Amino acid sequence: MAKALSGLAAKAPGMIKGVVDYSTPKLNTFWHYARVELAPPTPADIPKITSGLQSLVKSAKTGKWQQVTVKEAWLNTLITAEIAFWFFVGECIGKGSIVGYKV
Amino acid sequence: MAALAPVQVSPLIKFGRYSALLLGIMWGSHRFRVNKAKEDAWRVEEAERKVVRDAQKAEEKLRLNREELLYLANQAGVKVPPNF
Repeated sequence: MAKALSGLAAKAPGMIKGVVDYSTPKLNTFWHYARVELAPPTPADIPKITSGLQSLVKSAKTGKWQQVTVKEAWLNTLITAEIAFWFFVGECIGKGSIVGYKV
Repeated sequence: MAALAPVQVSPLIKFGRYSALLLGIMWGSHRFRVNKAKEDAWRVEEAERKVVRDAQKAEEKLRLNREELLYLANQAGVKVPPNF
């Protein structure tokens, strides 16, 4: 056991280096996309957001939302689901646990 | 570096995501507080009930024990002391 532990301790720097070497390019790729795609909206986006909301309301009122292709409808479903999942992630943050309410 | 340019996500979707995240945080912490208040109150009551319940159980055990000893004495023909 002690031998295994000391062996592990001797290998640890190399292992850490391996982990870093392995994950750095992946994290760089992640950051390359995330900094653009996951960025929160800026105040400059507000006009586009309001016009987008208005067009949503309008398509709900005029029934235009029924006139989309299956592909668009599927994409809209996915986007709605994604936003719903953001809500659930927020709930997990707010309640401070992953599963259930640890009261 | 990565070959593809990142997608320009619609501001409406970004707004939706982050408002949902924020709403979720608010909802989760609200629910947590409500549930915690309820559960804490219940735990206080339950602690009081436990005291009463434990006392009742102890009393019942004493009574049963005495009955059993009396029965055993009767069966074995031992004279029971008057103060038992």
